[in-house]
Amino acid sequence: MRLPPFEYLEPATVPEALAMLDAYRDKAQIIAGGTEVINRLKLRLISPDCIMNIKKLRELDGIVEQEQSLVIGANVSLKELQDSPLLRDKYKAIAEASLQVAAPPLARMGTIGGNILQNTRCLFYNQSAIVLKGLEVCHKRGGTTCLAVKGGKRCFSVYQGDMAPALIAFDAQCVLEKNGARRTIPLVDLFTGMGTHPLSIENNELLTGIIVPKQNGAYGSTYRKLRVRGSIDYPLASAAALLALGADGTLAVSRLVIGASGPAPRIVAGAPAALSGKLPEDADFAAAAEMAYELSEGVDNLALPGDYRKKMVRVFARRALQGARTDIKGWM
Amino acid sequence: MNELKRYSLTLTVNNETHAVTASPNRTLLEVLREDLHLTGAKESCGEGVCGACTVLVDGQPVRSCLTLAMAMEGKKITTIEGLAQGGQLHPIQAAFVEHHAIQCGFCSPGMILTAYALLRENQNPTEAEIRHAIAGNVCRCTGYAKIVKAIQSLAGEER
Amino acid sequence: MEKFTLIGKSMKRIDTAAKATGEAIFSADLSLPRMLVGKVLRSPHPHARILAIDTSKAEKLSGVKAVITAQDMCGDKWGVFRYTQDQQFLPTEKVRYVGEEVAAVAAIDEDTALQALALIDVQYEVLPAVFNIDDALAAGAPQLHDVYPNNINVEVKIDVGDVEKGFSESYLVKEDTFRAPEDTYFQGEPYAVAAQFDQTGNLEIWMPNAGPHMKSKPLSNVLKIPLNKVRVRKISIGGAFGGRSEISPADVICAFLARKARLPVKIVYTREENTVATRQAHALVTKIKTGVDREGKVLARDITCYMDGGAYSSTGPIATSVPFLCMEQAYRMDNVRYRGYRILTNKPIRGMYRVHGRAFASGVDVQLDEMGAELGIDPVTMRLRNARQAGDYTPTKSYVASCGMTECIVKAAAKAGWESKFGKLPPWHGIGIGCNSVQTGFPMGIRGGSQALIKLNEDGGITVITGIVDNGQGNESMVVQIAAEELGLTSDDVQLISADTEVTPSDPGSYSMCETFVGGNAVRLAALDVKKKLFKIAAGEFGTGEDELTARDRKIFVTENPKISMSIAKAVRIALSRNESISGEGSYWPDVDAKREWVKNPSGQLSEAFSFGAVIVEVKVDPETGLVEVLEVAAAQDVGFALNPQIIEGQFEGGVAMGGQGGMLTEFLQWHEGRVLNPSQLGYLVPLAVDMPPINNIIVETIDPKGPYGAKEAGMSVAMSAAQAYCGAISNAVGVYFHDYPITPDKIVKAIEEKKKKENAEVSG
Repeated sequence: MRLPPFEYLEPATVPEALAMLDAYRDKAQIIAGGTEVINRLKLRLISPDCIMNIKKLRELDGIVEQEQSLVIGANVSLKELQDSPLLRDKYKAIAEASLQVAAPPLARMGTIGGNILQNTRCLFYNQSAIVLKGLEVCHKRGGTTCLAVKGGKRCFSVYQGDMAPALIAFDAQCVLEKNGARRTIPLVDLFTGMGTHPLSIENNELLTGIIVPKQNGAYGSTYRKLRVRGSIDYPLASAAALLALGADGTLAVSRLVIGASGPAPRIVAGAPAALSGKLPEDADFAAAAEMAYELSEGVDNLALPGDYRKKMVRVFARRALQGARTDIKGWM
Repeated sequence: MNELKRYSLTLTVNNETHAVTASPNRTLLEVLREDLHLTGAKESCGEGVCGACTVLVDGQPVRSCLTLAMAMEGKKITTIEGLAQGGQLHPIQAAFVEHHAIQCGFCSPGMILTAYALLRENQNPTEAEIRHAIAGNVCRCTGYAKIVKAIQSLAGEER
Repeated sequence: MEKFTLIGKSMKRIDTAAKATGEAIFSADLSLPRMLVGKVLRSPHPHARILAIDTSKAEKLSGVKAVITAQDMCGDKWGVFRYTQDQQFLPTEKVRYVGEEVAAVAAIDEDTALQALALIDVQYEVLPAVFNIDDALAAGAPQLHDVYPNNINVEVKIDVGDVEKGFSESYLVKEDTFRAPEDTYFQGEPYAVAAQFDQTGNLEIWMPNAGPHMKSKPLSNVLKIPLNKVRVRKISIGGAFGGRSEISPADVICAFLARKARLPVKIVYTREENTVATRQAHALVTKIKTGVDREGKVLARDITCYMDGGAYSSTGPIATSVPFLCMEQAYRMDNVRYRGYRILTNKPIRGMYRVHGRAFASGVDVQLDEMGAELGIDPVTMRLRNARQAGDYTPTKSYVASCGMTECIVKAAAKAGWESKFGKLPPWHGIGIGCNSVQTGFPMGIRGGSQALIKLNEDGGITVITGIVDNGQGNESMVVQIAAEELGLTSDDVQLISADTEVTPSDPGSYSMCETFVGGNAVRLAALDVKKKLFKIAAGEFGTGEDELTARDRKIFVTENPKISMSIAKAVRIALSRNESISGEGSYWPDVDAKREWVKNPSGQLSEAFSFGAVIVEVKVDPETGLVEVLEVAAAQDVGFALNPQIIEGQFEGGVAMGGQGGMLTEFLQWHEGRVLNPSQLGYLVPLAVDMPPINNIIVETIDPKGPYGAKEAGMSVAMSAAQAYCGAISNAVGVYFHDYPITPDKIVKAIEEKKKKENAEVSG
């Protein structure tokens, strides 16, 4: 499959990259591992004037443990995340997510930044001209129709990234830099919830790192993903959970995040109220999972029917909570 | 943009250096196959899913159909053609032949290179580890059973 | 002394070293001097009249060397059968599916070719389209072809015995409908064609094929050049599975571009084009009514099957018949009525698929399970009660000379531990069985036979010349193995010229499971011809009878006194020194009923031999997610004789993956108005290494009287029966019999929910 024409930029430092972004703005597309961008180019979903390879920016490397947090450079590969004993021990959901992305060779190429910043997907959007040429133009492609949902007034494309839900479960933040400015925002706020423009990042901004606050005390976390095959595939539903006990031995922190359930990963806001202040039992987990179900979206725009995928969000949310519990000593 | 500017690249492939001119939008797979006539790496999907385009870059399996040639300056690339030494099959290639792990052969170069990288990293993989390592290499013919057997036969050997 | 030196042994294949090193050349790997890149312009509409095509801008683009449309061709319609000639290689009047070829260009590079395509202006008048069987059959539906009223492309009618009487005598009668959407071959190698003409107008063309001689005749017809000027060349092929048998528009388009440009042209399909613009497998709706006696023996069966054929006939009559024929071979049914209808829709074209009719065979088997449950008879016993036996005639009057169906069932059941498992497994575990049978070829008229030639060198080496083609299954090695065995040579002594229509004699091809039976027999006969000639020479020299000799270890010797010997090289030289040229010839034409025809006369000997297979699968279902974990597979097939056990095992294992793991769990095409939404490797899910269960291979040998060394076929029975076994096992695990395939997780979850609802209603009601 042939790529469209573009120029190639390879900045050596972050300041150089930011200067280029300022100059090119929306005419430049950033590429790291290439596992997503190259495919979007091949389908002609984007036709930038130039591709900016940020793989050589050493400032974006490294998993660094600081006093109150873990800082992960945006260019850290998914394989590096998989191999990190620190993540495995202290940030298990993040390690688990990295192990479940795609397949090993793609995990070597792909970066945490790239995985987070992936665009939303839909059966009717990620298609070639053979399919799309004779069809109406959908919302995500700049038109006024939804091809997946008849009469759909908005875009129902799905955010299928694995890393974001696990990171959000740990209340991660992301660092966005542009020439002369840097902002740090909760990762969950990076996602607009809109299928047409899923990411709240400006076209001269570079995601440089992820900050994951340290979790103390007795806690557990997990990331679970539904796919039919045992490798390669994007999630059809997913959930990440972090549970942490307080000093009094009851649940103090709970974060339940669902993915592949709409245009953005979403925190199940009602879960903490349902779970905190006690040692939740399976019935409580089921109640929180029910909230996840209510929050999730499932239309027929991926490999399996939407109503099934919505049901599976409930199943995986509950399993994520139960999974997070298993690592907490003294509980069950 | 009609006339694409082409750039000079030096690619190190199978321990040989090649001077190539390529426009930025050429993939490593295209340059290997069309410019260097190393047709062992194949395009079976073009989207990085099936692994037939696998080559090693600095020893690691990479989807060459998703890799821009221009990003490969200074890297050591190994294709399937670089595995056999002095006309002798590499032990992994010999094992694939011996164990009938090859039927149509279209996935085989990618599969063999992935196995090669696995065994360099893990000399005694379990069956589960083998299947996980080749999970990103699609084979339509064999059902993978004899591929796994071929790789298992090499476990514990020096290479 | 052992009977065979090579036959029956897992001889290393002769072609796989080159595949392991990447040296093997597939069609897309070809590079010819000054070769152009060809690209095809495709219809964006499922049904439309072509009003005008303006190629002028494309032709003027610098770097474009040829542009073709239907105007460049004669407009003849082609078909596999004389009565199915409905396809032009570039349509003149209308397009009938999204993706259909409309025009093509050849240019100096891919970017220029793609640019040229964008410059071709086609004016369409969009027509209403039909995308499913019901809509295609409805009154007033748009007609795809004038010659097929109501979009009924093929109708197969088979009536044997008295079904009504059979039903009336049945203890239990059941009627169910089974459905499956399209699946597809998804060969590892996407389609590609390279073509060039020489100065005298000879065409050389390379493409993946299941029989080069099946390609050369249509090319000769459409190019209007004699067959001897069409050279379909040997090339490594990355799988066929039934989808590469016929001439493809890409072949014709590439040849026309090459002729017009006077330069070699290569067209390489993307994965999407391979899925959409070659062949797919039919969607099926199969209604099966079966009547059994108290012991579970089938007394009558009435089957109506509707197949969604896509926009053109392809091998329609064959595809409409084979799913039924496989079942009538596998199971005894004295009274049977079959109606098969192939219906045209505005979708890509369907052909014959290795896993023919999953919604047909699985339906037959699931019904046996269900009725057996009512009768208190387990699935294995139901199969044994109805299994085909040697010496039978099938309902359509094929004599079955060798049959190991019962042996397959018994051995698979033993290996799987059926007795200790069926009905005794933990909740959500299940075990199921599937049985099938495949014919080794069918009447193909003047193309039904194979001829092999053997050339001998003065140093005792030989070259076998045969039309047999290898799609990856190991046919080339089979040829070498047979020739080497008969002449007492090693595989290194045998060179092979194969699958090249300039040089090799006609052969039916690999798509009807007849390469071993027909092609292999021809090779064996050619080798025997050579052996006879060499033995005559040696016998003359030794003063013995020819029947007292053996050929082995590159020598001919007196069997009882091996010291009296001569090398084969010497025997050859003796002939040559007597001014006698020496070579071998053998041909094999299966003894089938030449009057048997798919539609007009579906009765008579279909093929000389049939394979039989039984697969048993054990699964564990996650009731919350519907995900299926396959625990173990026992795959048994009566292959007649195992020429090369490892190769056969490879076929079983690949078959389980394709038919069972893929065909019954994950593989199906998703559609939107005639457009395939999941044509790619990410969307169409074929099994991965982490998905496959352990497979126990059971090779059953019944030594067919006609097959070479008793061999029949090994590539298909397990692939088909695996699908049925997966279906039975999942049904057993869930406690619901599935009639809709593939059995994706959502269907399992839904079935469990509905079952619970029903049970609650029964409890409360």
